[in-house]
Amino acid sequence: MSLPCGTRNYTYGEDMAIVRTRTHWVLLFAFLIALFLAPLYFNDYWLGVGNLIGITLIAAIGLNILVGYCGQLSIGHAGFIAVGAYTAAILTNRFELPFLVGLISAGLVAGVIGIIFGLPSVRVKGFYLAITTIAAQFIIIWVINHWGITGGFLGIKVPYASIGPIVFRSESSQFYLIFVIAAICIFLAKNLARTKVGRAFIAIRDNDLAAEVMGINLLYYKLLAFFIGCFLAGIAGALLAHWIGFMNAEQFSFTESILYIGMIIIGGLGTSLGPIFGVVFIRVLQQVLTIELVPFLEKTFTALPAGFATGVTPMLFGLVIVLFLILEPRGLAHRWALFKAAYRLWPFSY
Amino acid sequence: MAELLQFTITGISVGMVYALIALGFALIWKSSSVANLALGQIVLVSSWFTYSMLVQAELPLWLAFPLVIVFALFLGWVIERFALRPLIAQPILSLITVTLGIGYFIEGVITFIWPWSVDALPRLFPKEVIHIGQAVVSQEYLWVVVICLVIFVLLTLFFRYHRMGIAMRATADDQLAVQACGIPVTRVFSTSWMFACVVAAIGGILISSISGITHGLVETGLKSFSVVILGGLDSFLGAIVAGPIIGLLESLGGGYLTPFTWAGVKDIIPFVVIIIVMVIKPYGLFGEVRIERI
Repeated sequence: MSLPCGTRNYTYGEDMAIVRTRTHWVLLFAFLIALFLAPLYFNDYWLGVGNLIGITLIAAIGLNILVGYCGQLSIGHAGFIAVGAYTAAILTNRFELPFLVGLISAGLVAGVIGIIFGLPSVRVKGFYLAITTIAAQFIIIWVINHWGITGGFLGIKVPYASIGPIVFRSESSQFYLIFVIAAICIFLAKNLARTKVGRAFIAIRDNDLAAEVMGINLLYYKLLAFFIGCFLAGIAGALLAHWIGFMNAEQFSFTESILYIGMIIIGGLGTSLGPIFGVVFIRVLQQVLTIELVPFLEKTFTALPAGFATGVTPMLFGLVIVLFLILEPRGLAHRWALFKAAYRLWPFSY
Repeated sequence: MAELLQFTITGISVGMVYALIALGFALIWKSSSVANLALGQIVLVSSWFTYSMLVQAELPLWLAFPLVIVFALFLGWVIERFALRPLIAQPILSLITVTLGIGYFIEGVITFIWPWSVDALPRLFPKEVIHIGQAVVSQEYLWVVVICLVIFVLLTLFFRYHRMGIAMRATADDQLAVQACGIPVTRVFSTSWMFACVVAAIGGILISSISGITHGLVETGLKSFSVVILGGLDSFLGAIVAGPIIGLLESLGGGYLTPFTWAGVKDIIPFVVIIIVMVIKPYGLFGEVRIERI
C-alpha cells in the first residue's frame, strides 16, 4: 500500500524490510551524510538547537512507546528525565565515575523509578494514571530540591561527557554523540513496534481487557512499557545534563511535561516518525519564537505589554496543542503519509 | 494542644477550599467524563480577574463579585464550546491533553496580562481573630468553611431538585438514553463546565484572599485532584469528605513531620496521598467501581 508504484513484495524479508527500494537507500544515506556534515555549515547556535532537538527526541521516543504504543498516559515525563539527569550528574560529579557508566545507570535508575510509579497502571488507566504520573513529577522534583546530594536549589555542576580519551567539549562533538544515540533509539523503537513486545503494547492500548484475555501478561507488559519509556527518558536526561553542564530542578517543570505530551501528539501518536516531526516542530518553534520573533516584535511595537515576552510562548503552544487535537488528531505523521501517497499517485490520484 | 487545634482548623478550612475546587472537577467528570486538568489555571485566572475588578478597576464588592461570576460562566462556556465540543467521543487521551493545552494557554494569558505574578487580594473578611480554647484562629478561615458549606448545600439541592441538575445526573448515567429522551446533551455539557468554572472561581477567591495570588494556585488546583482521587471521581459526597481529610493531613503533616523530613513536606503530601490511594483503593472512598466488559 505504501510502496512505490510497481514494487511488489515477493519474500518475507522484503515484506519486513524497513528500507525497501534502492531510492530509499540512496535517500537515507544522503540524509545521513547531510546530517553528518551538519557541523560544517551550521554555526554553534543552530548546532545547539540541533543538540536540544536530539536529546528531546530520545525522550519523546520513550514517551511515544509508553503513550503512543502502550496507551499508558504519562504526564510526568520531565520528572523521569530529571531522574536520569541527576543520576548522571551525581555519579560523574560526586563519585567521578566515567560518562558511560553514568549514562547507562541514568537510564536504569529512571527506568526503575518509572516502574515504581507505573505500578498503579496495573489496576487503573486513563485519568487515574495521568494523575499518578503528575504526582510522580511533583514528588520527584521535591526530592531533588531537598535532598542534599543533588545540590538542591543551588544546582549541581556536570563535567563534559567523555569516552576514554575523547572529551565531548564542543557543540559539534556533542552533536555526533547525541545523534548517534538518537539514531540508535529511533532504529530500536521502529523495530520494537514490530516485535512481539510491540504488538502486545498495541493490543494493550486498543483494549487491555481483550489483551489480557488473549493471554498477554498485563503486569509484565505495562511495567515493561514504563521501563522502556523511562529508560529512554533517563538516557535523554543524562545527555542533557552533560550538554548543559549545570543541573537545576527548574529545567524539569510540569509545563515541560505537558510540552512532551504536546510533541508526540503534534507529531502523531503511535507512529515511528511522529516523535521526530513533533520534536522538531516544537523545539524549532520555541527557538524561533523566543530568540527571533519576540525580540523583533518588541523592538517594532514598543507599546507591547510587559508580559508579552513570557506570555506569548505558552499561549501559542497551548493553542497549537488544542488546535492539533481538534483539527489533526493523527498528527503531522499522518499529514506526511497523505503527502507521500498523493506524491506517488500524482497526477492520477485515483 | 493549642497548636493542634490551630493546625486542625487551618487544615479543615484549606481542605474545604480544595473540596470546592474538586467539586468543580467532579461536576464535569460526572456529566461528560472529561478530566479537567486545567482546573488550577482556571482558579488562578479567576483570582487575577477578581484582583483586576477590585484593585485595578476599584469596583465595589457588590458589583465585582457578580462580574467575576459572569466571567467564570463565560470562561466555562468558551472552553466547552470551542475546545471540548469538537472532541466529543474522542479517546480519553485527547480529552485529557486538550485540557492540558487549555491550561497552558490560560497560563500564557495570565503572564501576558498580569506579568508581576504575585499580588494580594484586598481582605474580604473581618480581620479580628477568634479565640477557641487556647487557639487563636483568624476569622477568615471560619468564613471560608461557612461559604464552602453553603455552596455544597446549594449544589446538592440543585442536583436533587432542579431540572438541569437532574438532567446532568441522567447524562452522567447514560448519555445515549438521555439523548433519546430529548435532553440536549451538549447544553448539559456546557452548563456543567460553566458551573465548574464558577465553583473553581469561588474556591480561588477564597484561597487567594487568605494567602494571596501566586502561581502556586495552579499547584493548588493540582492538589485538589488528590481530593477527587481520595473521595472517588464521581462522588460529591466523596469530595466533601475527602477535602477536609487532605487539608488536615497537609496541615498536620506540615506541622509535625517537617522536623523529621526535609522542609516543604507539606506541599507533596497530597501527591503522596494520590500514589497511596492509587495502589490501595484506586476508585477512592465513595467512587463507583467501573466494571468493564469487552
